[in-house]
Amino acid sequence: MYKRQQNSAFLAAQLQTPLGVQALTLLLIIAVWELIGRTGILFAELFPPLIEIMRSLWTYVTTPIMLPHLKASLYEVGGALGLAALFGIPLGILWGSRTRWLEIVEPLILYAAVVPKIVIFPVFILFLGIDVHSKLAVGAIAAFFPISLLTIAGMREVKQVYVDVARTAGAGAYQIATRVYLPAIAGQVFTGIRIGMGAAVTGALLAETKVAKAGLGFMIVEYYGQFRIADMYSLLLFIFILSALVNWAMKTLFARLSPSARAGQDAGMYF
Amino acid sequence: MSESTRITAWRWGIIFAVVAIAESAVRLGWISSFFLAAPTRAAVVLWEQIVHGNALWLTAITLLEITACLAISTVVGVFAGFLLWRYKLIGGSYEMFLAALFSSPVILAYPIFLVTFGRTSAAVIALSSIFGLIPIIINTKGAFQNVNPILLQVGASMNLTRKQLFRHILVPAVAPTIFSGFRLALTYILKSVLGLEYVAQVGGVGMWLSDAAFMFKVEEVYAGLLGTITLSILFLYLINRSEVLVRK
Repeated sequence: MYKRQQNSAFLAAQLQTPLGVQALTLLLIIAVWELIGRTGILFAELFPPLIEIMRSLWTYVTTPIMLPHLKASLYEVGGALGLAALFGIPLGILWGSRTRWLEIVEPLILYAAVVPKIVIFPVFILFLGIDVHSKLAVGAIAAFFPISLLTIAGMREVKQVYVDVARTAGAGAYQIATRVYLPAIAGQVFTGIRIGMGAAVTGALLAETKVAKAGLGFMIVEYYGQFRIADMYSLLLFIFILSALVNWAMKTLFARLSPSARAGQDAGMYF
Repeated sequence: MSESTRITAWRWGIIFAVVAIAESAVRLGWISSFFLAAPTRAAVVLWEQIVHGNALWLTAITLLEITACLAISTVVGVFAGFLLWRYKLIGGSYEMFLAALFSSPVILAYPIFLVTFGRTSAAVIALSSIFGLIPIIINTKGAFQNVNPILLQVGASMNLTRKQLFRHILVPAVAPTIFSGFRLALTYILKSVLGLEYVAQVGGVGMWLSDAAFMFKVEEVYAGLLGTITLSILFLYLINRSEVLVRK
């Protein structure tokens, strides 16, 4: 009797922690989902049984069914991130190192950053066709802005006194660049790359949902067209889990490489 | 010429140079007009669409969608943010959920909204409101959390009632931070609405762009793009101006 009381007290205490509330919320969502799905009281077709979604997700993970689409999407996102970093980091360093240039171009960059990049997709289709490269271009332009803007922010944080001290100690231009500037901006650049990755994923996959021959975004719309709702949910879940894992891996790696890498989370909105 | 005028002149110079290069490239035949419309031609088509076509109507639809999203996000977001601050346990528990939602590519779930609301503006409004909601919730919660306790103590020492404390101390103290969230929300809503209109081919300006691209009307594609970019820039400009006014 005493043991049972002790257990209930422990359970009640656990439920009053953030983890307990999160677990309870998740259970509640699952219960409501199943209730709606099984009773069919509201949009029954929109709430397929969770077991069906999980079965579909298991198929993606254990069979090569998604492999060609995953390859296409990874190629687009990887290429987009590479291109964005290739242009974004040097341009960010260049603009950030010249105060006058920055005063001229910064408002232009900020205004351009607000335009949803997906609307430029028809232009890329005209120039690059409907193959993977037009999607890669959308991803690249979406990732370019966070990378270049955070590189500029990094350059702004470099204190002139560090450069002066290095110069007094006899350091040359190359040494100042590699020993002063690079370590100082690394944290911001890594954060920019991580947020840029999120932007590239959103940009490229969103473009795939519009016009594509392959890719995870293309499959979402295929399933939507065929009204395979459970498959569509599981694919979305697959994409969210994959993005979260890559985001977490990058965050961990960058935190080790540069402890000043920020924990900014707003990647989803740079498309 | 003052320094700021010189900087502005440089900025316009860059814009004109880019436009001039594009114009020359098409007029001199370096780039086929099948791929790139001359900027002057795109501007003419845009003007024709405004005067004789339905560009103004489409812009009105887009603005209506943005307004609806903003209203939903503000009402729900401020209320939810207040609750998350008021009940610390719930606030601490859901903050992680919100951050995870914010960083994930939620926009890819738009087909779910199309199934639920049909291929209508309601689908665009429902999904875009989520993007506006999150920054407002986070900023509202943060704003209440960071109110200087001395202000509340002063209010209490003046024997203010709870209602007076809320109205005369809490609200003015949290307003600037909530406005920052509102500004962020508006930017996100704008991007989401235009992007979704284009992808899902519903609503206003974004749908026009999508239709033009579908029919390979190159000049209209660039006119639509010009309209979208102008709308985005105009919005950001107005947001920045209003923030300056609020902070005054």
